[in-house]
Amino acid sequence: MTTDEPLLRVRGLKVGFPTSDGLVKASDAIDLTIRTGETLALLGETGSGKTVLGMAILRLLQPNTRIEGEILYRGRDLLSLPEREMQKVRGREIAVVLQNSGTSFNPVLRVGDQIAEAITLHRGLKGPDAEAAAVDLLDRVRIADPARMAREYPHRFSGGMRERALIALALACNPSFLIADEPTRGLDAVTRREILSLFSEINRDRSVLFITHDIEAAATLAARVAVMYAGEIVEIGPVDAVLSSPVHPYTRGLLGSLPERGMRPIPGSAPSLIAPPAGCRFSPRCTFAVGRCEKEHPGLVEVGPGHYARCMLYD
Amino acid sequence: MRSFGVTPHARSSIRVWRWVTVSGHNVALYLSLGVILVYCAIALFAPVIAPFDPFAMSGSPLAPPDATHLLGTNDLAQDIFSRLIWGTRATLILGFLGAAVSVVMDTIIGIVAGYYGGRVDEAVMRFVDVMMTIPAFPLLLVVTIFFRPGIYVTAVIMGLFGGLNGVRIIRSQVLTLAVSDFVVGTKALGAGDGYIMGRHILPNILPLVGVKFVTSAQHFMLVGIGLGFLGIGDQNLVDWGQMIERASQNGGIILGLWWWLIPPGLAVTVISLALAWFAYAWEERINPRFQVMRV
Amino acid sequence: MIDICDLKTYYSTGFLHRTEIRAVDGVSFRIEKGETLGLVGESGCGKTTLGRSLLRLIEPTGGRVLFDGTDIMALSRKDLRRFRPRMQMIFQDAYASLNPRMRVCESIAEPLRIHGLEDRAGIDRRMRDLIERVGLNEEHLNRRPYELSGGQNQRVALARVLALEPDFIVADEPTSGLDVSVQAQILTLFRDLGREYHTACLYISHDLGVVRAMSDRVAVMLKGRVVEIGPTTDVLDHPCHSYTRRLVAASTGGEGFARPAPCPASLRLPAMIEVRSGHWVEATAR
Repeated sequence: MTTDEPLLRVRGLKVGFPTSDGLVKASDAIDLTIRTGETLALLGETGSGKTVLGMAILRLLQPNTRIEGEILYRGRDLLSLPEREMQKVRGREIAVVLQNSGTSFNPVLRVGDQIAEAITLHRGLKGPDAEAAAVDLLDRVRIADPARMAREYPHRFSGGMRERALIALALACNPSFLIADEPTRGLDAVTRREILSLFSEINRDRSVLFITHDIEAAATLAARVAVMYAGEIVEIGPVDAVLSSPVHPYTRGLLGSLPERGMRPIPGSAPSLIAPPAGCRFSPRCTFAVGRCEKEHPGLVEVGPGHYARCMLYD
Repeated sequence: MRSFGVTPHARSSIRVWRWVTVSGHNVALYLSLGVILVYCAIALFAPVIAPFDPFAMSGSPLAPPDATHLLGTNDLAQDIFSRLIWGTRATLILGFLGAAVSVVMDTIIGIVAGYYGGRVDEAVMRFVDVMMTIPAFPLLLVVTIFFRPGIYVTAVIMGLFGGLNGVRIIRSQVLTLAVSDFVVGTKALGAGDGYIMGRHILPNILPLVGVKFVTSAQHFMLVGIGLGFLGIGDQNLVDWGQMIERASQNGGIILGLWWWLIPPGLAVTVISLALAWFAYAWEERINPRFQVMRV
Repeated sequence: MIDICDLKTYYSTGFLHRTEIRAVDGVSFRIEKGETLGLVGESGCGKTTLGRSLLRLIEPTGGRVLFDGTDIMALSRKDLRRFRPRMQMIFQDAYASLNPRMRVCESIAEPLRIHGLEDRAGIDRRMRDLIERVGLNEEHLNRRPYELSGGQNQRVALARVLALEPDFIVADEPTSGLDVSVQAQILTLFRDLGREYHTACLYISHDLGVVRAMSDRVAVMLKGRVVEIGPTTDVLDHPCHSYTRRLVAASTGGEGFARPAPCPASLRLPAMIEVRSGHWVEATAR
């Protein structure tokens, strides 16, 4: 495998959840590639489908989910692997830093033990060796007094510390590919900055899919960014190009609604994923929409070097 | 965008009425509910359904089941089938009335303790702790032997003495609710404590209270049968416990008179199971109603 | 309009080992009618406790809060309840601030019903008026909180609070869990309504960008005390206190603030020194 071959290639990925109201099309025909050592930010809001995409790669979705398409990791289609093979991939090759909710750690087990568990599972170290490795990891994620904190329970950890411990858990086996799901959600400005600086350090040694709603995080950490809306990628390209000169009206609206850039809200609200609008999914809210936009569904069009947007205006 | 309830796709379901759809995962709920309702109907319409007066001598004693006496007769030549039907009343009254008293008490104490917290909570809970150390059943025995109360009073006494174990569950739920933002917000609006307790806290713990009611009812029914078996229950009413006791004492087992011995025991077992099952199925349903899937 | 004097809220925890936590440790400031004061600080600095203590949703340990001349702290419970419509709160988690079993129409009508302000027809009219003002429509009236999005729930919470036409609103991080575009919608709504109703507002947030967009003045809180206070642009562009500088640096990536004007030396503690007109800094550690 040459270094030109992307580490991860997603082709035509569709994820649907059957519910009592109908099929929720959380992702619709996603194509994505990530190269070795590259950090791709997946930017989107609630209902865009970004978290589902991340979870689908590791097949961590519910059993009744309908998934179509291919997810090629180092040439192997992850979707067609038997579960046992997939378990070998999870944690060791591809690791995920889950969203920092209250239940991200088992509240009745010590944090050090939970990290050691991952180490034992994949690296085969046992007992004191695993514990020492766990303390080492906590130190690496810059938790103060790691030996003592490893023996503590999760409720003793603040939000920022829990996030770091989650990162430590993901790094336990030095994976080549990391998926980070909204690591800065709900953190205050100072903690957020610290977590982002930690990420910039650990992202250097691996490929990362950085799922976030935080535009600044994407700007700081990623080489490329993909913007998702209503289950589709609406713009993708080098981070400077997309965030400084956005092309798609949604990206422009999103950046415009930042308090620092004028706080101009996008009218309307995110569409239902069960019955998304016909034609361009953003057209009901788009200030530039023309008649065509409501009837035809736009494909991704190249608007600059490596920069694509899904919009009729550029077709 | 709504939060989606991602539940297993209901495959086969039958719509019974407008509000009731029976499918794979709630058949337990409706089946047990059906059984309970049947028992209630029997208790209510006993005079109409029972072929004979339960105390009248209506045939020859110890007769096996036949066309007129569906379950035969007992040693006093009373129709067992009619006695079984009339016995439903005593059991259900003891169960439901006792549970009602117990649950009302638990709810009031739980809400007051949980809502006010602090010293009120401590004082109330210490009181409850003391009350709980009093052994309910022996106390009940003593009271009923001495005072020979009627069935309604017995039920109330059962509820009062035996019922404080639900307080803790209710209180802990109320403690969580009392500090939740919407309660604080309503306080900020200027609502009084009584209003908040009744209008906001109570509706949110009703499912819990309901489940407790059903499990208490089951418990008290069995206690009632026990009392009847010991011969302490109200002698003016037919009671399954009594029936079992009489059957076993007066040769039911030795003579193999299954129609005398088994029906009351079976009747109690079925209603007990139905209540337990219903409580279980209902509790499952009231737990996080929606699994919110983040997309 | 609102004058806070030396407000203190202390908690004591522990059974055998009574430790005192000084969540709010002697805070004083004023908010004028129609003005929005931002309150920033890290998590745990006491800003949420301050917001709730102001409204006496948490009982403070000491100090006075003068609301249009009346000391709220001295009111009896009954008088306080009658005073409450004038000061309201918007919570961080909109979904948690609504009773999950009540429909939107009931939640909005509730404040009117509690205070007996209108009859049934009047309540109905006010409700429809309010729902339109916050940008929802009639079909939302019969929904329950779990059927609405975070942004929509926050609009309902806003309608509920506005029903009483309060003079003062404490907004406790009302948009922190919301997406950026929804945040922009809610904040614009908030600002427009605030101007229309001429409400004084204490806007609590950890996001300096939002505070800059929403408030006229800003106060910086650290460990229960206000360490700096002044006009928003002034404080954020020329922070004096070392903690404020840290906060500003964290949120703007270090390229943020202009070189601060020389700040005078400390005299005595814990007094506040006026650095520039209207811009005060705590006299100790700079």
